Amino acid sequence: MKKLFEDMLDRLSRVPGVRGAMIVDAQAGVPIVEEMAEGVAGGAVAAMAASLVKRSAKAATTAKFGELRAIQLEAAAGHLIIASHRDVVAVAVTRVDAQLGLVRVEMRNVLEALKR
Amino acid sequence: MRKSAAPAELQRWSEEVAHDPGAPSFVPLADAYRRQGNRDAAVRVCLRGLERNPGNVEAHLLLARLYLENGDRERAHDEWGFALRLDADNFEAHRGVGFVHLDRGDFGIARRHLDRAAAARPDDPAVQEALLVLTDRLRGATAQSQAPAEGNARGQGQGRLASTVAALDPVKLFDPLRRETPFLGAVILDAHGLVLAGALSRDATGTDAEALGAILSGAIEEAARTADLLDLGAWRGIMLETEHAQLHITVLPDQFMVLLAADPGAPAGWVVRAAQRATELSRSFLQGGA
Repeated sequence: MKKLFEDMLDRLSRVPGVRGAMIVDAQAGVPIVEEMAEGVAGGAVAAMAASLVKRSAKAATTAKFGELRAIQLEAAAGHLIIASHRDVVAVAVTRVDAQLGLVRVEMRNVLEALKR
Repeated sequence: MRKSAAPAELQRWSEEVAHDPGAPSFVPLADAYRRQGNRDAAVRVCLRGLERNPGNVEAHLLLARLYLENGDRERAHDEWGFALRLDADNFEAHRGVGFVHLDRGDFGIARRHLDRAAAARPDDPAVQEALLVLTDRLRGATAQSQAPAEGNARGQGQGRLASTVAALDPVKLFDPLRRETPFLGAVILDAHGLVLAGALSRDATGTDAEALGAILSGAIEEAARTADLLDLGAWRGIMLETEHAQLHITVLPDQFMVLLAADPGAPAGWVVRAAQRATELSRSFLQGGA
């Protein structure tokens, strides 16, 4: 399983503009595999991403929007893209000029692989 | 940009107005009630204040805005008229009266007021738009029997009028976006989670906007913390893709928030662009004091 995650992460990390990516255990809030830029605290990012997904998923359910599929955070210096499926969360951190379309396609591929 | 009143200020204004309904603080008190969504109380405070202090121009303008938000354009028009008797050059009153007469088809009166408004604020986009609509309408009135192309021009004029009127009526603020299929609605929420302008289709979203703002506030705080941790700089917006809708949230200064909802199948790029347009409309609304 870890090999599958590593392959997925490798593809995601190769997309132009991606600064780092990780697959996170949503329940524990810890990275399963990660490839983050130097100086980025992977553990903290994993915990925050898991927490963000939990809160957003709860909000989506409470508001009757159904299951949460993805989150895209837009900031001045880049984007954070998160996709979740059950207990696994895929996270990508990108530069502001990243090919977001490609990142999203790879994120969808990751999710499809997780569903299989 | 407007700010929400602090509880201490509200308390002070309430005490002053309780002691003297015509005290100058009746205007900010009524405005605070309006922002809290309590328009009936705001109207009552304004009317009582104006009984004692009928020369307060700001109060007439606020009352006009409240009547407009209640859908009563005639009373709004009357209040703008009072404001003009007290301050013959008042921009907001000329703009309001001009819009009402444009809507009624009284083009001469509309032109007079809109020209005065444009003289006061030449860059106001709503007034410029209204003057374009007026030109279209006048052209249409003098050539009613002309070719279908003329009808199209009038149709475009109608579209512009709709967006111009929308700039004045908070509920209709985002109506220009409603023409686009994936759009389910948008609202501006204030720091207290109250809806300031716009509307969400309850049928489409299954919940009301204020409840949605409250529900999402936890996720928004978490998003801000995450952006900070990742050194991503100031965060501009967040998009949540769910089974039944796509939600986009943009945070504006003074803790105002623009929430846009779209069909789940809406392309992400469209959602981001629509959110940008909704944000521009919101900024204009918050700065224009409509």
